[in-house]
Amino acid sequence: MEIVLHVQSLCKHYPGFTLENVSFALAPKHIMGLIGKNGAGKSTTLKSILNMVSPESGSVEIFQKDFIQHEKECKQRIGVVFGGIDFYPLKKLSAITAVTQKFYANWDQTQYQKYIKRFALDESKKFKELSNGMKVKYLLALALSHHAELLILDEPTSGLDPVSRDELLHMFRQIVKNENCSILFSTHITSDLDKCADDITYIQNGRVLKSADKDTFLRSFEHLKTPEDTGPLTLEEIMLRTERSEWDDDAAV
Amino acid sequence: MTTLLYKEIRLAAHPTSIVFIFLGCLVLVPAYPYSVIFMFGCLAPYITFLNARETNDAWYTAILPVTKRESVLGKCLLIASFQLFQLLFSIPFAFLRSALNIENNPVGLDATLAWYGFGLTVYAVFDFVFISSFYKSGYKAGKAFLLASIPMVLLILMVEVMPHIPALTWLDSYQPKHLLMQLPILAAGFICYAALLLFAYRISVKRFNKVDL
Repeated sequence: MEIVLHVQSLCKHYPGFTLENVSFALAPKHIMGLIGKNGAGKSTTLKSILNMVSPESGSVEIFQKDFIQHEKECKQRIGVVFGGIDFYPLKKLSAITAVTQKFYANWDQTQYQKYIKRFALDESKKFKELSNGMKVKYLLALALSHHAELLILDEPTSGLDPVSRDELLHMFRQIVKNENCSILFSTHITSDLDKCADDITYIQNGRVLKSADKDTFLRSFEHLKTPEDTGPLTLEEIMLRTERSEWDDDAAV
Repeated sequence: MTTLLYKEIRLAAHPTSIVFIFLGCLVLVPAYPYSVIFMFGCLAPYITFLNARETNDAWYTAILPVTKRESVLGKCLLIASFQLFQLLFSIPFAFLRSALNIENNPVGLDATLAWYGFGLTVYAVFDFVFISSFYKSGYKAGKAFLLASIPMVLLILMVEVMPHIPALTWLDSYQPKHLLMQLPILAAGFICYAALLLFAYRISVKRFNKVDL
């Protein structure tokens, strides 16, 4: 099985924060959730993957190619969505699309129109006039219209209402099922991943605590269960209990 | 390269910057310090860089199939387009001024070949300091503009004072023999502009590669 994304030993030091030996791999047609509390290093990991920040060591391979060496080629085949960031708020969607499409050799205008219609987006609107959910949908439409084989999404569901979130998650499943596409998305809303993720990577304080398929991941945290727990732990319970045990350790020190 | 420039003009360029580049027409005003036009040509990139920062242009560019090197190249192309277009746009107005028999500008230097040569030199020095300073951080446009404004203002003052020095009045003349004498200044301006912009681009790429977005 060819790995779509292979991250190996990424390290990045900031004053007060260190991303340390982050490694994980994403298989084709899989959805991987990158979880961790705020400030754990999820966005830094995604930005390091995309060469937006320069990691001090480590490597990133996308489609079996070194990303730094083949940055443009790899970017032609990936789509990136940053939730919560306003791009060109005063520009109309039609203007942003007109520019974006020129950069992609595989741009598919029919596909784009299909998504614009499906998401009920009005291209004559300015970016700032869209709701948070619509902004994510628009950026997804751009990403999907050049037939991206890997979607990297940073907090795409943050700030969305439960209905919009559910709709997006449903869409992620459909994209993976119908298109030749894998998804890596970071979130601190772990309930999103219960519904749609195949694999989970848990980052705590800049380190990968565990990266595995969802079943293995859930099993590996069974030691956190209490006698009161009858069923398997949810991702939220795992995260809460892991982070809480860390506070307890800190308190003990 | 054309795609990069298209992106810069459609998404990054601030509308005011576009207005500023049309101010080359001010060479038609009978009495005006024409070198102020260069200041508009320096303000245009500054306003656009501010606009780009506030609209998360660097982030958007980073998610496109574009490297950091090309991101810098796009901005350099935009600045060169602004400034060269402004100077080119002023040329018909300089001819029109002559056709209308408007008297020599009493304030400072007329739009002679020397003026264009000095203009290119002002732009070269401003761009070198501004672009290379900006890409140290990727967002401190105000600081870069302040630093670049110092040599820009000094050069503009120098250009405006020169025609008032009796030995340098030939700089302010449209007579063929004086225009011929001014030609090397224009050529030097072009060389200076191309060299410093290229140098600024190379330094900026090195600096921007180290910047974390």
